[in-house]
Parts: sequence; C-alpha cells; structure tokens
Amino acid sequence: MNLQLTLAARYLAGRKLRTFLTTLAVVFGVLVIFGMNIILPTMIAALQINAQGAAGMVDFSVTHVSGEAFTADLLPTIQAVDGVRAVSVSLNRIVNLPADFYDNDPARPDVLTALSLVGVEPEAARSVRSYPVTAGRYLEASDSASTVISQTLADSLSVNVGDTFSIPTVNGITELRVAGILPPRTQPGNEEVLVTLAQAQEMTGETSRVNTIDINVETTAGEARHAEIQANIEASVGEDYHVGTLMAGTEMFASLKLGQAMMNLFGVLALFMGGFIIFNTFRTVVAERRRDIGMLRALGASRGTIIGMILAEGLLQGVIGTAAGLLFGYLLGAGIVKLAGPMLSQYINLKMGEPVVTPALLSMSIFLGVGVTVLAGLLPARSASKVTPLDALRPSVAEVEFKRRAGTGSVIGAVIVALTTLALFSGNPALIVPGGFLFLVGLAMIAPLLVRPITNIFGRLIALIYAREGTGELAQGNLTRQSARVAATASATMLGLVVIVAAGGLISSLTVTLYDLMRKSLGSDYLFIPPSIALWNSNVGAHAGFADQLRAVEGVEAVSTLRFAGSIANGQAVSLMGIDPATFPEVSGLHFQEGSESAYQALADGHALIANSAFVTAAGAQVGDMLELITPNGPVEYRLVAVATDFLNVKITTAFISQADMQADFGTTEDVFIQLNLAPGADRAAADASIRAIAVDYPQFKIISGKTYFQSMKSQMDAAFAAMYFLLAMLALPSLIAMLNTLTIGVIERTREIGMLRAVGATRKQIRTMVLAEALLLAAIGTAFGILGGLYLGYTFVSAMASIFPLGYAFPLTGVLAAIAVGLLFGALAAIIPARQAARMNVVEALRYE
Amino acid sequence: MSLIQTENLTKIYGCGETAVTALDHVNMQVNAGEFVAVMGPSGCGKSTLLHLLGGLDRSTEGKVSIDGTSLAEMKDNDLTKLRRKRIGFVFQFYNLIPVLTAIENAALPVTLDGVRPAEARQRAAEWLERFGLGDRLNNRPDQLSGGQQQRVAIARALVAEPALVLADEPTGNLDTKASDEIAALLRQVSKEYGRAVIMVTHNPRIAAYADRIVFLKDGKIVDETLLERKNGDNAKMLADKIKRIGD
Repeated sequence: MNLQLTLAARYLAGRKLRTFLTTLAVVFGVLVIFGMNIILPTMIAALQINAQGAAGMVDFSVTHVSGEAFTADLLPTIQAVDGVRAVSVSLNRIVNLPADFYDNDPARPDVLTALSLVGVEPEAARSVRSYPVTAGRYLEASDSASTVISQTLADSLSVNVGDTFSIPTVNGITELRVAGILPPRTQPGNEEVLVTLAQAQEMTGETSRVNTIDINVETTAGEARHAEIQANIEASVGEDYHVGTLMAGTEMFASLKLGQAMMNLFGVLALFMGGFIIFNTFRTVVAERRRDIGMLRALGASRGTIIGMILAEGLLQGVIGTAAGLLFGYLLGAGIVKLAGPMLSQYINLKMGEPVVTPALLSMSIFLGVGVTVLAGLLPARSASKVTPLDALRPSVAEVEFKRRAGTGSVIGAVIVALTTLALFSGNPALIVPGGFLFLVGLAMIAPLLVRPITNIFGRLIALIYAREGTGELAQGNLTRQSARVAATASATMLGLVVIVAAGGLISSLTVTLYDLMRKSLGSDYLFIPPSIALWNSNVGAHAGFADQLRAVEGVEAVSTLRFAGSIANGQAVSLMGIDPATFPEVSGLHFQEGSESAYQALADGHALIANSAFVTAAGAQVGDMLELITPNGPVEYRLVAVATDFLNVKITTAFISQADMQADFGTTEDVFIQLNLAPGADRAAADASIRAIAVDYPQFKIISGKTYFQSMKSQMDAAFAAMYFLLAMLALPSLIAMLNTLTIGVIERTREIGMLRAVGATRKQIRTMVLAEALLLAAIGTAFGILGGLYLGYTFVSAMASIFPLGYAFPLTGVLAAIAVGLLFGALAAIIPARQAARMNVVEALRYE
Repeated sequence: MSLIQTENLTKIYGCGETAVTALDHVNMQVNAGEFVAVMGPSGCGKSTLLHLLGGLDRSTEGKVSIDGTSLAEMKDNDLTKLRRKRIGFVFQFYNLIPVLTAIENAALPVTLDGVRPAEARQRAAEWLERFGLGDRLNNRPDQLSGGQQQRVAIARALVAEPALVLADEPTGNLDTKASDEIAALLRQVSKEYGRAVIMVTHNPRIAAYADRIVFLKDGKIVDETLLERKNGDNAKMLADKIKRIGD
C-alpha cells in the first residue's frame, strides 16, 4: 500500500472514536441527500407507471394542457390526420373513496382506496383497446347505470354479473349494475370502472365534455413514421393540447419538488457541518502531530508528501463515510418508500415501486461526500506542509506560527461577518442565503479574536464560583493562551447549537404563521373535506345543488365552496380555485401579502385573479399584470389583482378566481371543498342533524367542525416538528461530541503542565475543577457563537422560504434557551472524562511526558 | 576534499537588541568515515550547528557545503531530496512515527524516495538485523525499549545509504548501558560502514567514542581534540576539558 494511505489508515485506526465521530458527520450528510433524493424519482416513476397503465395499448392520448375536460370538437380534425387509424374519446376521473366505503369496517385495511371512472363510447373504444369480456357482456351505447369491471375488482367488491355496487358521484351515490367482467387486471394503477360516456358525464357533472382522446395509428408504422404521425397530430390539435401519454399529478410534482428542496438544504447543511468538524479535527491533528510531521520532513518527505498524507486521511474518511452514507441513505429511502407506500396509495392513489437510484444522483452524492471531506482537509494539510523539520525538535515554534496565522484568519473572518451582516440588512434573499453559511465560516475564523474578551466576561463568573483556589483564573489563562485551539473547539460547539437555534427560528416562525393562517382559512363551523386535500383534481366533488341544500338548512348562515380547475399561465401549471367572492371572505379567508380584501370585489367584477406567492414566484408575475390562462376554450386574459395565501394550497402554485368565471371559462361547477358557518343563536343540534342527513349522499366528504380540524392539523404539525427536532438533534450530536474530543486533546497536550501543577501541590480536586472550568468557558464561548450564528441562519431560512411561503420572523426564545442549556450541559459532560484523566495523572510520568 | 565543510557559518536569532548569536563564524570540516563529537555547555550552539549542517535550518551568514555544493543556494525541494539521500538523522527522543512498526519506520526514507515497498522493507530489515532487532521487526515503537527505539532510529538513518549521519544527543534519554550500546553502534557506523558521523552530546563518556571532539562555547569553536584510541581514560580527559571550558 502507498505510504500516505498506510499512514492515514494507521492514524485513523489509532483514534477510533474520533475517526468514528468525524466520519459520522459525513455519513449523515450523504445519507440525507442520497436517501431523500431516492424517494422523489421513485414517486415520479410510480406516477409515470400509473399514467402508462391508464394509457394501455393506445398509441397516443390527446389531453388538454391544463388537464381539464374539453368538448370533443377536435375529433374530426384528428381523424383526418394521415396515418390515424382509430380515435376514441373518453372521460377519465379518479374517484377517491372515503375510508371504509365498501367494507364499513374501520378495523380492516381498505383494499380499495380509489377507482378510475372511465366513460367511453362503447364501439369507438373497442377500436383502440381490446375488452375481452369473460362473463356477461360488453357495454352498449344505450346502457344506463351499467358497468364493465375486471375480475379483480369484482372479487374485492364480492359482486357478479347482474349485481350492483355503489360509487360516490357529484350527484350523490350512484348504483351501477355489473354488465360484464373483464380478465383480472395485471397493470398497476387504479381499478377501472368502465361506463358509457354519457353515464360518466352525468356522474362527474361534465356535461358533453371529455378529457382524453385516444388514438391508434397504422400498425405497420415504423419508428420514424410514428414520430411523423405524432408531429402531424400535434400540429392539428394546436398547442393547447398535449399529445403523448397521460399527464399526471402536476400538483404532486410541485409538492414533491418543494420537499426535495428542503431536504437537500438540510443535507447540504449536514455536509457543511461534517466538513467543518473534519476541518477542526484536522487542525487539531496537525497540531498534535507536529513532531511526527517534522520528523517526516527531516527524513526527506516533501511538502507534497505531507499534504498527500493529510488529504489521504480525509479521502479515506470521505470514502468510508460516503459509502456508509449511501448504504444507510438507500435503506432510509427504501424504508420510507416501504412505510409511506401504503399511506400514499391510500391518500393519493400512488403505487410506489422499488427505490430508483439514478447514476447522476449517485455520482453527485459521492462527489459531495468525498469532495467535502477532502476540501475540509485542504487547509490543515497546507498548514501541515509548512511544519518545518525543526518543529520535530522544537515544538514551541509551531505554536507561535499557529497563533499568527489565526490572526490573519480573524481579519478575513471579520470582513466576512461584516459583509454578511450587511447582506442580512439588504433584505435580498439571493444575498442572505449564501450569507448564512458564510456568516458561520466568518464566525469560526473570527473566534480566536473574541476568545479573550469572552473568557474575561465568563471567567469572572467562574472566578466568583471558585474564588478561593484560583483555578478559574488558571483555566481562563489556559484558554487565552491557546486561542486558536479554543476557537476550534468553540466553533465545533457553535455548529451544533447553530442548527438548534436556526431550526428553532424557522419552526417558531412557521408555527406562528401557519396557526394564524389555519385559523383564518379553516375557522368555519363545519368543513366538508374531500379525501385528498390539495390534490384537487383526483377528488370527486359535489354539484352545486349540494351547497344549495346546505344553505337551505335552518340556522345555516353562510356556505362557501371551492371549485377546482387546472390551467397554465406564463408556462407554469397552476391550480385555479373558484370561490364565491361574496361568501368566501365571510366563512373562510386569505392571508394577503399584496393588495387587500378589496380584491374580492375585483374578482366579482370578472376576469381577475388572486395568486398565491408560490405562483407569483414561479410564474414571475406581479400585481397588475395581465395573465393568459389556458382554458379548454383557448387562452383567456385575467388581471392579477392581489397576492394572498390560504392554508390548504400554501405549497402549490394556486390562483383564486370567481366561480362565475370558472363556470364560463372552464365549465366547472363542481364543489370540491365546502365550508359552512352557522348563524349566531341557531339551534346547533337541529342544524347538525339536518346537515349530516343531507351529507349522507355525499360520502366522499368528511364532515368535521373547523375546531376539530384545526386541532388535528395542529397535532399533525406538532408531530412533524418533533420529528424535525429529532433529526436536528442527530445533526447536533456529532459536533457536540467533537467538543469532547478537542477538550481531551487539550488535556493530553498539557500533560506536562498538569504534572507540574500536581508537583507544586495542586490537589486532584483542583485539577478537576480547573479542567471543568475550562470546559465550561469553552462551552460558553461556543454557545454564544452558536446563538449568534443560529439567529442569522434561522433568519436565512425564513427569508429563503419567502418565495414559497412568506413568514413573519419570530424570535426563537425556546431555541435560544435550549441552546444555552444544551451547550453548558455538554460542556460539563465533555469535561468529565478529561478532568478525571487529568486528575489521575501520575506526577512523575506527566513531568517526563514529551 | 572533505565530505562536509562550513565557512564562517553564522546564525543569529531575532534582530536588534534582542538578537542572539547562536553560531559565530564557525569553520569546520568532516571527512567520510570520520566520527566527530560536538561538545559544549548548554546554549553553546551545538544543536543549531547540527540543524544547519543537516539543512534543517538556514544560516544567517556563511555557508555549509556537502560534496562541494552549497546548501544556501538550494530550494526547499532540493534540500528535502538531499536530506533523503545523503543525510541520516538520529534524535534524542527517537522521533519514530508511533503508528508504524519498526520495519516501516526504518524503511521510511527509502519509501519516501519511491523505492518499491518490498525492496524498502528488505533493506530496512537488513539494517535492523545488523543492529540485533531481527525479532522486533513488526513491533510498534511503544512495544520497544528506549535503546531498541534508538537502534530503529539509527537503522532508519542508514537505510538510504547516506554519506553523513547527524545525531543530536542520541543517548540523552537512555540509561548508561543503553547509552554505551548506542555510542558503540554509531562508532561502528563510521568505521565499518564508512559514514561520516557528527554527534552532539554533553556526556564525556559518550563523546569518548568519537575520533575527534569539537568544543563549542558561545557559538564559537574554542577547541578541537583528536582522541588517541591507545591511551587510557579519554572520558576523564574530556570531562576535565569541558569543565575548564564551561568555567
């Protein structure tokens, strides 16, 4: 084996615990990045498989770019395209089933969570797909309330030809009679319920509209011809339509992407910390091994060899850490896919396959993991190469040099801190985000300068406690003398605490804003909630009559509904929510960032929209802009009148328009979410009974009171935050243990001095006290820095979120208090082992120690 | 021509009023196969002289030449190569790399020189066996006694076949018996293997193993003595001399 690698491996093996802890930091960073990035492609793959499953044997499917239904006017145009053999229109809707819809048994897990309702013209459909009926008969054009289903679905519903089963629709529950049964289904995706087009249009309220045109082309067509036909079809349908396999789940993608971005940020932070911890360790390593390095230089090792040796150590740790990170990351990803799979298939009809590892992700994770470690080793390696052979003989020389270099570093650090502080006040997120990380680097570099003033302050405190024996002063002296090493230890502590405080800042800001938003958006007396919140297009809602019935109930003051249509504006997919500008503000409400409540009036006047900040950022739009929304009837101009957010659609690019506009431009009158307020003084019991009686026909909605929903959302959020805190604690742990590490080294380095103190009569207890006082001082410095850096970074997070979700910054008092407690506790804990070690030292041996 | 020689070698630490002259116009030369001991009271500049001779430090004035080449004009990399190929070092505290075994430590200079690992080990093993450490090849420094560690260090100093071995208080950390063994070994190195050995010591008994003694005081050479092997107590004579010079 190569000399550098041999040395690296031996040194690492000689310090197993330290190696383990520093490597752990790399493992964690890679784990988060790799693990989390496995999950998103896996979900995308699942979405694609589902879409392909739906497309079946069809060559092409034409859908509207907005995903909305449209009138079948295009049919003759497509049929006329050269090479097109057969065309069939259909209306496909996913029907989410409420829990326990068929089995009525909460104890048993639901086999069916959603069905795919497919309305076809029976004869035309047969020209593009085959329907080999095994029992009963295929659909006929004149059929009504009849269906053809697969054997698998028939089995899970326990029905046979001639039996009926129920299914929720916009008109309430509809009974369908099984006319025929198809062979068991082999593709993934939802079970299909095949009905006539007219039946489907009635069940979904999409009168005389379809949402898919399936096309089969000449069977002999080769690949080139296939592409040519596709191009011809694309030309004939125009750019408002999409030709290809079915587009699925754009909203889903948006949510997933956001989650992925957050996780990546987290992973990068973890790696950053890992790099910092390794940097610190290497700095100590170089100081510790000055003699060995000087010796090697005296023996004829060149500077390059020394750099190579330190880098080889970094490389080894990087490679091992990355490998372990990849492994655990894969297990984490696979575990989440496995655990979340059933939940996802329940709530969003997504069947997930095996985790997908792309070569790009793999190489990026390796590059980041190994790169960070090697990079972290670079500076210490350089300073190691500057150790002269004489240092092997005169250790004090290097110490002087170490201090001097720390001096230049402090100046650079001060500049960085000053610049990043300016960036903070600039309010520009493009500056603040990188500023947050630079601020930490700056703090770490400036640390040696601040050691003296800070130890003076805290030293007085400690001197008060241990006033009689002077050990406090001794500890303080030790620290100020070795400011560079102290800075290294303190910055390790700082990093651990930064994360706690920063996350505290983010979480407290998030909670305050979200709770406020929730109260505003969901503060009504009753909520009618569809199975999938915020994935609106997979829900079957209710026709307008349902809300009217509710309005008629005695004691009901106001009913506000949300309607949904998908669209595209400025090339950005957007969820349109139709609201009634008059009732919506009474029952629900928006949190305005730009504009005010008067925007509702603009909506009522027509062709105006209120967009949420996610949309404004993604589409690059401003208040006052005219936006072209793609509708099934072509583009329509809307004026952007305000920017505001509701709770449900916070993370999704969303715009609010009036229900009147939505009906005119998108033809949608289906209510997907309903909120209801009772009049003050109404007979609540009577009203409740009437409301529930009406809702029985619409089992797709879960009825809950706003208060209950608020509570359940709050507890969900609290659980999510608790999980985040746990992850953060895992992040903080390695750097806090790094502090213990450095402290122990500090004791070893001063062995001789401690021996001297013992020789001149210091008791074991005094030695212990001195080391403890030193540790507490160190912890105090680290904590002070950690809180500073954490507050900055927390603000960074909050402002980075602004484009997605604007938050008011809330001071994280809990986070700061927790950081102080944790910092000092760890300081004391970290001192116990070295303090005992120092106190137990044999005086003679210690004095002889070189 | 001698192997190594100095011309008006001067080293001044610090500057202005605090300047300390560690070496003051030292002129000396050492031939191949010669064993020279440098003696003198503490702070006389012994170690500084050795560091300058070994290219570990640079002189303020004057020059050191090895094989006629002046060290002052060499770049750091060339100096490094020179140390690797032409000079071996032995230190008071052995300075073995703690994580490497005896044979790996001894092989270091040739390994650093790019010699194939198998050959490097082979050469290191030969020297260790000559010095009676044949059964200790795979022990780490902490499993060896002080004398054994110093013998590993001497093997390391010789493995690259250097012309010059510099030893800085090689027995300073050893008991009497081990000290004598090491001093005898160094004499063997110069006589049997033909290397020039320059050893700094303040122990007259150890210095008595050398061919020639150079006495330093306040950075200047104050006396040089050639030792006769035949007559009696060289050590006592040296002790008397150092006492005189010290006063």
